[in-house]
Amino acid sequence: MATMTKAGPDTRLWNPEADEHDSISARTFGFWLYMLSDALIFTGLFASYAVLSTPMNLAGGPGPAQVVNITEGFWQTLLILGSVLSYSLASVALKAGNKGGVALGIVVAMGFAAAFLGFGLHDLGGLMAAGNGPDRSAYLSMFFTLIATHGLHMIFGLLWMLVMLVQIARFGFTADVVARLLNLRMFWQFQATVWVLIYAYVYLMGAY
Amino acid sequence: MHVDLQGPWSPLLGRLTLGAIPYTNPILIGTFIFAATIALIVVGTVLYFRKLPYLWREWLTTVDHKKIGVMYILVGLVMLFRGFIDGVMMRTQQVLADGPHSAGYLGAAHGYLPPYHFDQVYSAHGTIMLIFAVTPILAGLGNIIVPLQIGARDMAFPYLNAVSLWLTVAGAALVMVSLFVGDFSNAAWVGLMPLAELPYNPGVGVDYWMWALQIASIGTTFNAINIIVTIVKMRAPGMGWFRLPVFTWTMLSTNIIGLTAFPVLTVALALLGADRYLGTHFFTAGLGGNFMLYIDLFWIWGHPEVYFLMLPAFGVFSEVIPTFSEKPLFGYITMVAATFAIAGIGWSVWAHHFFTMGLAPNSIAFFSAATMLVGIPTGVKAFNWLFTMYRGRLTITTPMLWSITGIVLLLVGGLTGMMLSAPAIDYTVHNSVFVVAHFHCMVLAISAGIFSAVVYWWPKVFGFKLDERNGLAFYWAFVIGSVLVFVPMFGLGLAGETRRLDYLYDPQWMPLLIAEEVGIGFYFLSVLFFLRMLYVSLRDRVPAKGDAWETGRTLEWMTHTPVPFYNFAVTPQVHSRDELAWRRANGLEEAKPDRYVPIHMPSNTGVPVIIGLLAAAFGFGLIWRIWWLSGVSLLAIMVLVIIRSFNKNEGYILTAAEIEAMENKIETASVIAEQPKRLPLSEVEAH
Amino acid sequence: MNLRFLRYFGLCAPLLMLGGCSTDVFRLFHPTGPVADAEYRYTLILVGVMMLIILPTLALTIIFPLRYRKARKAAYAPDWSHSLGIEIAAWGVPFLITAVLIYYSFNGIYAVNPYNPKILDSAASTATAPLKVDVISTDWQWLFIYPDQHIATIDDLVVPAGRRVDLRLTSTSVMNAFYIPQVAAMMDAMPAMYTKDAFLVNKPGTFTGFSGEFSGAGFSWMHFATRVVPTADFENWVNQVQASPKQLDYTAFQKLAQPTVNIGAKPSYFSHVAPGLFDKVVQAAMHGVVYNVPDSLTKGVADDEGKAGAKAPAHS
Repeated sequence: MATMTKAGPDTRLWNPEADEHDSISARTFGFWLYMLSDALIFTGLFASYAVLSTPMNLAGGPGPAQVVNITEGFWQTLLILGSVLSYSLASVALKAGNKGGVALGIVVAMGFAAAFLGFGLHDLGGLMAAGNGPDRSAYLSMFFTLIATHGLHMIFGLLWMLVMLVQIARFGFTADVVARLLNLRMFWQFQATVWVLIYAYVYLMGAY
Repeated sequence: MHVDLQGPWSPLLGRLTLGAIPYTNPILIGTFIFAATIALIVVGTVLYFRKLPYLWREWLTTVDHKKIGVMYILVGLVMLFRGFIDGVMMRTQQVLADGPHSAGYLGAAHGYLPPYHFDQVYSAHGTIMLIFAVTPILAGLGNIIVPLQIGARDMAFPYLNAVSLWLTVAGAALVMVSLFVGDFSNAAWVGLMPLAELPYNPGVGVDYWMWALQIASIGTTFNAINIIVTIVKMRAPGMGWFRLPVFTWTMLSTNIIGLTAFPVLTVALALLGADRYLGTHFFTAGLGGNFMLYIDLFWIWGHPEVYFLMLPAFGVFSEVIPTFSEKPLFGYITMVAATFAIAGIGWSVWAHHFFTMGLAPNSIAFFSAATMLVGIPTGVKAFNWLFTMYRGRLTITTPMLWSITGIVLLLVGGLTGMMLSAPAIDYTVHNSVFVVAHFHCMVLAISAGIFSAVVYWWPKVFGFKLDERNGLAFYWAFVIGSVLVFVPMFGLGLAGETRRLDYLYDPQWMPLLIAEEVGIGFYFLSVLFFLRMLYVSLRDRVPAKGDAWETGRTLEWMTHTPVPFYNFAVTPQVHSRDELAWRRANGLEEAKPDRYVPIHMPSNTGVPVIIGLLAAAFGFGLIWRIWWLSGVSLLAIMVLVIIRSFNKNEGYILTAAEIEAMENKIETASVIAEQPKRLPLSEVEAH
Repeated sequence: MNLRFLRYFGLCAPLLMLGGCSTDVFRLFHPTGPVADAEYRYTLILVGVMMLIILPTLALTIIFPLRYRKARKAAYAPDWSHSLGIEIAAWGVPFLITAVLIYYSFNGIYAVNPYNPKILDSAASTATAPLKVDVISTDWQWLFIYPDQHIATIDDLVVPAGRRVDLRLTSTSVMNAFYIPQVAAMMDAMPAMYTKDAFLVNKPGTFTGFSGEFSGAGFSWMHFATRVVPTADFENWVNQVQASPKQLDYTAFQKLAQPTVNIGAKPSYFSHVAPGLFDKVVQAAMHGVVYNVPDSLTKGVADDEGKAGAKAPAHS
């Protein structure tokens, strides 16, 4: 065995210093892995969307070109990018240890996100009112599910931000709070990325 | 968004009515009496010996990876027994219901199980064995062994670990509840589509299956994250990647599969749920739905899932064989490479589950070739194990016997698997019991790995070995049973018997069916020997040494037996792939740490078990469409998680003096001993 | 290439003993036409090739543990864990064997491709046009429509010997798999679409067909008689069915497609089948026509079945 070296008199057998693990780095890595699995959920949904958006799957109902609202989608994209931008500014404030700045950034991000969700609900509500709900055809089932899954991620993010606002006020920037704020930043960028993919794949490619 | 439900519904109880309780079915009443008796005995014993506080403090609220692992395995064994009984029922039904002249009992035309009951039994058998027996047992093994093998104090996220366990338990509990409240799915463990859709399955059976799987698979995903982070971040100093024990390598690869495959199952089940609850059309035949999409999604998860179960068994063989051959594993690097090759190829073979669905020949060719490629790394593994034994000094203990048997099963399963991957053969036996016999060979190889691992690592956790004599009897009864059940089953496949029949057409199959039933008798015997093995070992409790088999090679054998709750008093420095073998070669195996330092330990918490309970209630509410129950449970889970995030969970400190005292009297620190209450960190500082 | 003698080796040997020394029960050992013959031949070839590696490995798995037991004090190499030669062989031999297997597997795919089996192109009997049969699986019966003869049967497939049969398969409700073990490749029948299958049987005979994919309460009774008869007998049979009183249009079909457990797989016959019925059934499923299985039936099948069993305990 190549790795078989001889032990010398000063060979160290125990390492008492090994216990100090970097908990923030483990948590961040764990969160990355979670996002990987979440990304695979979206991969599954996008693949299903690709399968279920052929003319066969419309069952005589409207197709992508009739369903997507490109202009509203464009404003939604701007809103979501604005939300990410203001959360990023909050992260800058976090580096400076500025509690007020972080809180302000998060509140603005939440405002943008709420506006985004308002647009989305209006969009889906309009479709349903016109009789094109998710039970109309397999394509619409898929469209609604994809949008709604992204929406649920945003709502989850909003709830998380709300909790963080309270925790910043109560605890200040403890290791726990900072780890959570950093993970939330990744999560928020992740959901925005998903939206951009939805906009490119479902909206733009669907309309043209 | 209209869903056409058959039967009554009320806001308070949803679809639940008294008619859902099968109080007229003698089989289920018998089962209920049996289950209730066992439950009464267990609860009675706990109460009589006033062990309830102990149970709560030391087990239900624990975050110790070893205890969580033990509970995983316990749940898995209970479910294994349930799945086994399902198997017994199926075999007995088929032997009774062969041929048009076979008699009918208990209201069935042939045999004693009417179709709707038989169909639930086989669906439950598959679901339970794969998801609620083998998966938890392997998760438990990973939980116990991986941190020990890499010299870590615990998993990276002890609290999340407990959540994973209790979510798995919640799923298993739902499957068990379906026995006595309502029905289980009759659409097989795979969820045959569109059979699992509302028009063909209007009852709650599919919902039980779907939510049990969904909840448990969330637990599995969390567990996968946990194990990967643990392996990547928590290795003892000196343990570089190529000093990682092979079992840990396989747990890493298997959990990478778990992490990436289970989300696909989540999607498939969620879309099916939308169909059944919201009236969408994902997997319906009409209105644009595409049920082949479900079959694809399911097997994109399902085939990697097979390797998810298989690889840890390979890992066990790779630990057991070197230990009892007193030699390092042959071809360590290629073993690791083969492991990842299997995990990788496992992603591109899923369509071989439906060659008969009319795929284009060119796609079939791709999937056929990809499937056959799996044979290469698997063959490499077999050779490496064999050449580990070559010029070794073998002690044939029961773990070793199980591992060798595992290789043999792998060869038979591999042979038949390769046959099935050739479409020309698959067209003749696809969906026949030949396939059933093939994958049972594979699952039996996994079981061999599990039994090997349980016997091998048992002393590490509990401090005494399992009785070898009864272990041998268990082994032989199990092997004879397997041969008698599955060799005739291959034959029946060649005779054209299709899967999942509750009535068999051909009376000529009788001799083979009787052979199978005799095999089942041997399996029954093996269960008795297994229980006797546990009983005798628990009664005698011959203390085992730290290196229980005296030829252990890896880190876990360097700490005490039974392993203390803090694993290693001081984290070891690693110098070699087989650290203990290296220390033994250098005469250092008895070396003790010269000084102790305080250890930071996580505190126990009741939150995970409550989350598990609420998750079960959430699932139960959805199954019976008791919306308020699901709503309240989900809200409660969210509130609980948020409240906990406001807790500063710093854990507590074991002082160096405490450790030294426990090291000298190790029983007090063992996993099963009751630990003295310690103050949380903040209060220690305040004093 | 006649490899049938191989049936007496390997896997088959213990089965033969259990099966009472007769291979009759093992349907797959008795292929009946070019497609089934080819499938059987590929089975023997692939198993044979694999035995080249499986048998030696199996032998080593038994020999090594016996040879190197501690008690035997055989040669012991405590540190030996690497050998380039063995490693190359460990990867190389399975690689070669797999390459051979893939070669035969690819050949087989096109030879017996159920949509268009090459093996039937070269069969002598391409002179007569194939017999067309449309197969519809309902919950839980098989309907065989002979579009050119305008007749249909339930659970009784009659075809002439020596003539190629082309099948189209669909389902009204859930998935089933069309399967006649020693005759035709298994092929799924699925709602809202159709699949194809083809076979040819050389000599007259009687076989049993099954459904290979579980489809619900009546699944176990979805077996059907497959009778291969001489051409003249087939013509007679067609004439007979054409005279039967029951006719089949779409309305009649809708009644027939309601979930029914056909205990004993009793056949029925229809004359005057409406043209295009098969396509109409495919279209209907695409437009969301389903034949609901009532909850009472998924549970109550037990009672009906018990009664049926009590009244007519057996069929033969």
